[in-house]
Amino acid sequence: MRTFIKFVTALLAVAIVPAAYAQQPTTVSGQVTASVGGTPLAGAQVAISTLRVGAMTDAEGRYSFTVPASATGEATLTVRRLGYVSRSVQVALTGAPIRQDFALEVGATALAEVVVTALGLERERSKLGTAQQQLTAGEVNDTRAQNLVQQIQGKVAGVQITSPGTQGGSVNVIIRGQNSITQNNQPLYIVDGVAVSNANRGGAPFVGTGTTYDYGNAVSDINPDDIETLTVLKGPNAAAIYGSRAANGVILITTRRGRNTDGRIRTEINTNITFEDFSVFPDFQDLYGQGSSGEFEWYDGNYGGINDGTDESWGPRLDGRPICQFTSPGAGTDNCQPTPWVAHPDNVRDFFRTGVTASTTVGVSGGGERAYGRISFGADNVAGMFPNNLFQRRNVSLSGTFKASERMSVDGSFHYIRNSGRNRTGVGYSGRNPLQSMFNWFGRQVDIEALRDYSRGGATNGGPSNAEFNWNYSYHNNPFWQQEKNPQLDDRDRLIGSVALNYRVLEGVHAQLRTGSDIYRFGVQQLYGERSQSYGDWAYAGAFRFLNDYRNDNNTDLTLSANRRLTDWLETNVVAGGNLRREYFNTNSQQTPGIVVPEVYNPSNAAIAPTVTQQVQRRHVQGVYGSAAFTINGWWTIEGTARNDWSSTLPAGENSYFYPSVNTSVVLTDAFPNLQGGILTSLKVRAASARVGSDAPVYSLAPVFLGESNRFGTQPQYRLDPTLANAELKPEITRSDEIGAEVTLLDNRVTLDASVYKKSTRDQIFDVEISGASGFNRKWINAGEISNKGIEALLSVNVFQNPTGFTWTTTFNFAKNRSKVVDLAPGVDAILLGSGGFGDVRVEARRGEPYGAIRGYKFRRDSATGQLLIGNNGRPLREANLSTLGTVQPDWTGGWGNQFSFGNFSFNTLLDIKVGGKLYSVTQMFGEYAGVLESSLRGREEDWDSPGIVVPGLNVNTRQPNTVNITAERYFHGLFGFTENYVYDAGYVKLRELRLTYALPGNWANRILGARAASIAFTGRNLVTWKDVPNIDPEFAYSSRNDQGIEVNMSPNPRSFGMNLRLVP
Amino acid sequence: MRYRWLGLAGLGVAAFAWGACNTDDLVRVNEDPNNPTTAPAPPVFTYATRVSMQRWFGRNPMNMVGPVLTVQQLAESQYPDEDQYLRLDGTVTDASFINAYTGELKNFQAVVDAGKATDEPLIWGPAQVMRSLLFAHMTDVWGDVPYSQALQGDAAEAIILPAYDPQEDIYAGLFNDLEEAAAAMASGGTQDLGDADPIYGGDGSKWRRFANSLRARYAMRLANVDAPTAQAELNAAISDPGGLIESNADNAQIVWPGDGVYDNPWSANNKSRDDHRLSKTLADQMVPFNDPRLGVYAQPTQCFLNPVAGCPANPPKYAGLVNGLEANDAATFAKVTSRPGEVFYSTPDFCVDCQSLNGATFPNFIMTYAEVSFILAEAAERSWITGDAAELYEQGIRASMEQWGVTDQAAIDAYLARPEIAYQGGTPGLRQIALQKWIALYTDGVEGWSEWRRTCVPETVKPGPAAIFNTVPRRYQYSVREHSVNSANVQAAIARQGADEFATRVYWDTEPEAAPTWPGASCGVR
Repeated sequence: MRTFIKFVTALLAVAIVPAAYAQQPTTVSGQVTASVGGTPLAGAQVAISTLRVGAMTDAEGRYSFTVPASATGEATLTVRRLGYVSRSVQVALTGAPIRQDFALEVGATALAEVVVTALGLERERSKLGTAQQQLTAGEVNDTRAQNLVQQIQGKVAGVQITSPGTQGGSVNVIIRGQNSITQNNQPLYIVDGVAVSNANRGGAPFVGTGTTYDYGNAVSDINPDDIETLTVLKGPNAAAIYGSRAANGVILITTRRGRNTDGRIRTEINTNITFEDFSVFPDFQDLYGQGSSGEFEWYDGNYGGINDGTDESWGPRLDGRPICQFTSPGAGTDNCQPTPWVAHPDNVRDFFRTGVTASTTVGVSGGGERAYGRISFGADNVAGMFPNNLFQRRNVSLSGTFKASERMSVDGSFHYIRNSGRNRTGVGYSGRNPLQSMFNWFGRQVDIEALRDYSRGGATNGGPSNAEFNWNYSYHNNPFWQQEKNPQLDDRDRLIGSVALNYRVLEGVHAQLRTGSDIYRFGVQQLYGERSQSYGDWAYAGAFRFLNDYRNDNNTDLTLSANRRLTDWLETNVVAGGNLRREYFNTNSQQTPGIVVPEVYNPSNAAIAPTVTQQVQRRHVQGVYGSAAFTINGWWTIEGTARNDWSSTLPAGENSYFYPSVNTSVVLTDAFPNLQGGILTSLKVRAASARVGSDAPVYSLAPVFLGESNRFGTQPQYRLDPTLANAELKPEITRSDEIGAEVTLLDNRVTLDASVYKKSTRDQIFDVEISGASGFNRKWINAGEISNKGIEALLSVNVFQNPTGFTWTTTFNFAKNRSKVVDLAPGVDAILLGSGGFGDVRVEARRGEPYGAIRGYKFRRDSATGQLLIGNNGRPLREANLSTLGTVQPDWTGGWGNQFSFGNFSFNTLLDIKVGGKLYSVTQMFGEYAGVLESSLRGREEDWDSPGIVVPGLNVNTRQPNTVNITAERYFHGLFGFTENYVYDAGYVKLRELRLTYALPGNWANRILGARAASIAFTGRNLVTWKDVPNIDPEFAYSSRNDQGIEVNMSPNPRSFGMNLRLVP
Repeated sequence: MRYRWLGLAGLGVAAFAWGACNTDDLVRVNEDPNNPTTAPAPPVFTYATRVSMQRWFGRNPMNMVGPVLTVQQLAESQYPDEDQYLRLDGTVTDASFINAYTGELKNFQAVVDAGKATDEPLIWGPAQVMRSLLFAHMTDVWGDVPYSQALQGDAAEAIILPAYDPQEDIYAGLFNDLEEAAAAMASGGTQDLGDADPIYGGDGSKWRRFANSLRARYAMRLANVDAPTAQAELNAAISDPGGLIESNADNAQIVWPGDGVYDNPWSANNKSRDDHRLSKTLADQMVPFNDPRLGVYAQPTQCFLNPVAGCPANPPKYAGLVNGLEANDAATFAKVTSRPGEVFYSTPDFCVDCQSLNGATFPNFIMTYAEVSFILAEAAERSWITGDAAELYEQGIRASMEQWGVTDQAAIDAYLARPEIAYQGGTPGLRQIALQKWIALYTDGVEGWSEWRRTCVPETVKPGPAAIFNTVPRRYQYSVREHSVNSANVQAAIARQGADEFATRVYWDTEPEAAPTWPGASCGVR
């Protein structure tokens, strides 16, 4: 520790060399505008950095400052603004006022562009030795999605974002491949310098292995309209300074701030309305109705009649023949009057409605020289595609700056968010997911309209008197009843706030003390009506589950930074700081499968003693860090960072871990100006190497007994925690190396930013499966290694560039990552990440294979001919052991964006591309098993049992061609558990975004709307999906955990059309 | 000026440094506030007992999804894939294998360790008896399983990948364990489990009888393969001063609270599911002989109670369903075959004309006076002990009737008087004993299946028409997780015992021809 303080002090001493003092003051002023269109640019920094004097531009783009009288001679005046190319001019300081205007060019990827980097520092691109990509508000907000992160899908090279499908669900974000075998692989999110929680209450493919609902991840609370810039720091190299949690990369969000407007008020409005339906929908068959073996007759919907309990569609042909059905007069009695047996082709589609999303943000900003601020209100309302499903988000953001003196200022930023879901549907293989029934277990003849009036009660067609009116009483609830009488309520109230005290110690030397917290309360009420098939005891009147989370994460940082030019050839940028992180999480739940009085969901109404749980988790991490960057001659930058953390979750004495990083960048075209020419405009190369340490999950060091809240009769119960604690854990380490190049060609017309990286995480802390016969099924250990190697590139071309006419910019990003599970624990070949719940498919981290191997059963094949082996019963046979059937890892991912503009019109398109990777589809498997999908018509083209199917293959005993003819029903039933048959290519190309914008002429906007600029746009999202897999959307996620790749009755991602109106101040 | 701020900055950094080095605070933060590092033994015993009973008597691969169907006490009317042996492979039974060790065995071991540390035999004795019962279940289902090295993941010399012991050695160990527990419990102690013991309420003398009875059960299991050991252990069990279970009052059974949280597992299943019917194999051994237990084991058929359209003209009152039919075929029999009896229901949904609906509190029978009587009857018939086999046989049947709540003595007498039921002695007698034991073991799937494998009685237990194998499984496949995590030890077990298949026979099943009741190669073959 002492060594470190010395190090910091030494760095500071280097930085704070006394400056010379001059004699006559000079006033420097001017205006900064955009080179195209001439709009004034507010918030640009104009400064003479050598003298550490400068000012920010106001709303009119004007700046003014005074150079101390002592400074004379030539000086470099530089202007920088986010998103624009910096400019510098030489000025002579003579005491006479200097007027200097600037017209700045938009900096696409040009090296002089100023970008936000780690710790929120604004740096010139030329000086960065690490890979990152920055998006502006406009780029993020082209179209509207429910979760901010979805809005950057396809836009950042090397960032793989998977949308959930289910509205309001979890978005899975992986940057440069997974690092951790079983722990978190999601990036760290920083909003205005404060780490915010992205806690996930996700679902799972199968109820038995997780929860039924996907409540999404917490980053969805951020209002996209409040964003100024979003920066992706792609790996540990860029993020080493953020500490343990940055191993998976960082997504850095800077929100909009107010500025000095000379007391005038600036208003901004952004409003969207979009309409959603499914981007993909299964093809159902309409030739055969419910039943089996071609027979069906309703009596009580529970096997009282002929196959009337079955929920499959192997029944009679839908040819209008009279059959007693659940809607027939007299159904449920001996006097049922048969009604025509006919198809209802749209019975699934008609269950859904068009979703509507309306979102509006109104912001007001302004202020004077001493104080300015911004306040915004945002409201999102989503009427989901499932009946009775609603989402709401309300945001209030307040930020302000108060300049107490020339030296001292205070910044504050507060975001209050309330995020609510109403009647979310369940996900995965669960009765609470209406798609489990409608996409799989359904009668194709069911008249969906008849189900709307569920309140008639089951007794009216032979069902149980305490059940709702339905088409089946043995396995399913009425889907409308499910959505309306099983309220699912979730609300998150959240406050993200920070206060920073800034003190200018000297010109170019700043101290900052900042404390920020992310605090939320998340409450879930899962309420189940009487006789729910998903949860609850049918002897009682309903059931409930309540869940409450409280989280409070606090970060306090003290930083000292110095940014100055030491000599005419050496600039330094030094930061030193300390961080205290305190995390507190408290979750409790109450649930009972039985209540007394219907629809009163309160523990006081419990008929069965509720199960109660409570869990508190605390973690403290203390860290000191520093970084020092030196730029030589303006073209060679070398930076080193160092951090040491002390974490509460590691054993005493072993809880300290140090991690350094170095990076360098060289602007070759500045170093060797001869390189510049007609083709090459600029060329920068960079290299970086880093390691990041990481601590353990809380409470994994000491063994405990776990209590059961329910007594056995009157007796308490305790059991040993089946996960074996380990008092000897040590921190895990991720190492990463990367090199990259940024090239601009043809006078900035073409820019290319490419990186090659490799990283590996060793000594991973995870709870490895050990032999259960040891008495424990898992043990916390340090073991295993995952490596990722990859390349990524971002190419941007200004194809046409005519300031007054037609322009066309095309951008292509590409990323290829090779993931490999190098090692697991001794004796462990595979670790289960997720399973489908029927024992027929597993997703594993498997030694020597890419992370996320899909394992399942193959068909048995004749070794000589490769033909299928068929049993005497005419059915294919499967192998006895599991095989690897593919990986969830794509071959490569990319995005192709195009931006066209002509006059006031502009048109943007974005294709999101994922090539390769596999998935396993339960929708397809059970959809064929139950005979609802069109593909299940095979073998019953003529009637339910003809022509039948003779499966091509060889009889297993005779090795002669199979001749046994079986019905389609027997064939498809026989494929249950034949994993290989339902593994598909997970690749897709999606027309992710489309936007047609009309910018209202400036004077119009000003005169009529009182704004600087205004635009109207038509937008579309997920308009077209090109894919291999039938019937489902290959893009889906249940959670942001690691169990990806198993599709189980997932809701396809919404396709949306909408309009957007924007007023920019 | 400048230096003042430098000083302040230095102070700030120093403050952080001090905070950072304050590691005592960090250690305190990581102390789990939610769970204790030690727990008293009695609540651990309660947990282990409860969770084991739910596993071995509930809807899972160790009872309703597995052995209960394998040995044809019940049949599946909606999901006959379970009945076709499709839901028995190592992926499905995996959790049962792992959780039996981590759930009940390890926790019973924790009680044994705690009780031995404080020298309280009435704490560790019952836990050791339960541990023996469950190890026996494990080895009877899978054959060679971890035993001598098991449950030591947290020992000073931790074993996280235990070796598999030969079943012969496990049985020898179990005899020792039971003998040790019975002997120790004789000395009593200052503490017992009291109400935390849901089986005997802490009664040491009953635990001794249970320990000795179990020893007798496992002794008899070795009858075919190692008769001398079987006879010796049986006699040792009988001669232990603690004695055997002497009446139904001594039965090892668990009575469920029936509070909706902890219900009788069959009753919990039957609240919302209607997929089981009495097996035709069992019905065929009861219906023709007017077995008075029939009305307890099964309900009258739906068509009998409520003849609706689609019902046959004269629906049977009680009938069984053929095991292992095709799904479509099985469903057609749902209304003309018997659901499990009223004692297994607590709601009227699938229990027509039921009165009490007390199924939630119905006990599970772990070991009964009836079973002990049949063991003694067999021993007497084999002349391993002195005693009247006929008398013991009748005692077993009467005990079973009483245990299942049959009170109509006239019906019991009439049943016993039937020529097929009245004891015949010799090999037919052994067959009668085995058959009666099989009937009496209703609900105890694993024990019923083990005894059937030993005796092959009744011979009518055969794979159903749609079953995927032609022979009744003789064991289940090893856990897939064990295959992957503990591979070397699993492979060693397979090398010793035979392929990891359903047809492989466990040690005590390797000499079936030594069983007088064994019909030959046709046993259990379709």
